[in-house]
Amino acid sequence: MAALDSGEQKSHGHGEKKHKKKHRIGFRIDMTPMVDVAFLLLTFFMLTTYFSKPQTMELNLPPDEKSQVEVAESNLMTLRVAADGVIFWCIGTEAAHRVELKELRKFLEDKNKENPKLITLLKVDREGKYSMMIKLMDEIAIAKVTRFSLAPMNEFDKRQIQKARAS
Amino acid sequence: MPKIKKKRIGFKIDMTPMVDVAMLLLTFFMMTTQFRPAEETQIDLPASHAPFKMPETDVMIVTVNKEGRVFLGVDAQKLRAQLFGEANKLRPAVEVDRKQLHDLLIQARISNPKLRTLVKGDKNAPFGPVEDILDILRQVKITRFNLVTEMDKS
Repeated sequence: MAALDSGEQKSHGHGEKKHKKKHRIGFRIDMTPMVDVAFLLLTFFMLTTYFSKPQTMELNLPPDEKSQVEVAESNLMTLRVAADGVIFWCIGTEAAHRVELKELRKFLEDKNKENPKLITLLKVDREGKYSMMIKLMDEIAIAKVTRFSLAPMNEFDKRQIQKARAS
Repeated sequence: MPKIKKKRIGFKIDMTPMVDVAMLLLTFFMMTTQFRPAEETQIDLPASHAPFKMPETDVMIVTVNKEGRVFLGVDAQKLRAQLFGEANKLRPAVEVDRKQLHDLLIQARISNPKLRTLVKGDKNAPFGPVEDILDILRQVKITRFNLVTEMDKS
């Protein structure tokens, strides 16, 4: 099928000229095996290749826990993520409120416009999902909130969440 | 003898254009291919809008799979042999516990100060182990690291 033809076979009969050159004999090469191999390789490369290189999110942690920064309570917004992925927010030690992930971006932008000195604290439950942390950090980055930090969730936070759920 | 009902006509299809295209594709894929790096566990990356590309050399990757098991891997084979022993040289990552991770991170940084740290967590991984890792990173004074994510399509 895939064959190379010299195409000179037909002109065999009346191709005789006076000066007798060395006459080429028509030849065919069966290319089928080569093409087979080429297709095999093609499938192989198509299957093993991958284009999308993973992205990374850069994170800077403060050097050690002892370097405490004093913040006014009214400038501190805590975002808590419960084990089931529900997000609660509160400012200072006020009662916590629920916020949906979809509204979070707008919410963060608004809050930061209201108070440019706002510092965001993100607390994720140990039983929660890692993807929640990524999603929230992504939202925080998109909302261009630069002052934010991560903190472990303690018993007090869990109680706050429970209270917010009850109300 | 009865005649053959229908005589088949021999036919030829010129496959040349198809083969040409196939060869072109083949060359394209051969040129652009990058092999998927071997992984110790299957990781489903979470999605984000983070703009940075993942560095490929001089990296150590702390992996958390969906069961919350923690693996440590480095890209250089030499360093791998040094950290995990000659037997584990060819494994892309080795499972470690919290204490080992702490010591190995320090050792790796001593051997190659240029190492960048990547944390690669599965989408469904629990947050607990990740929090422990962040804590360990803070203890060993790796304050700058990257979280590996996938490009968010939306």
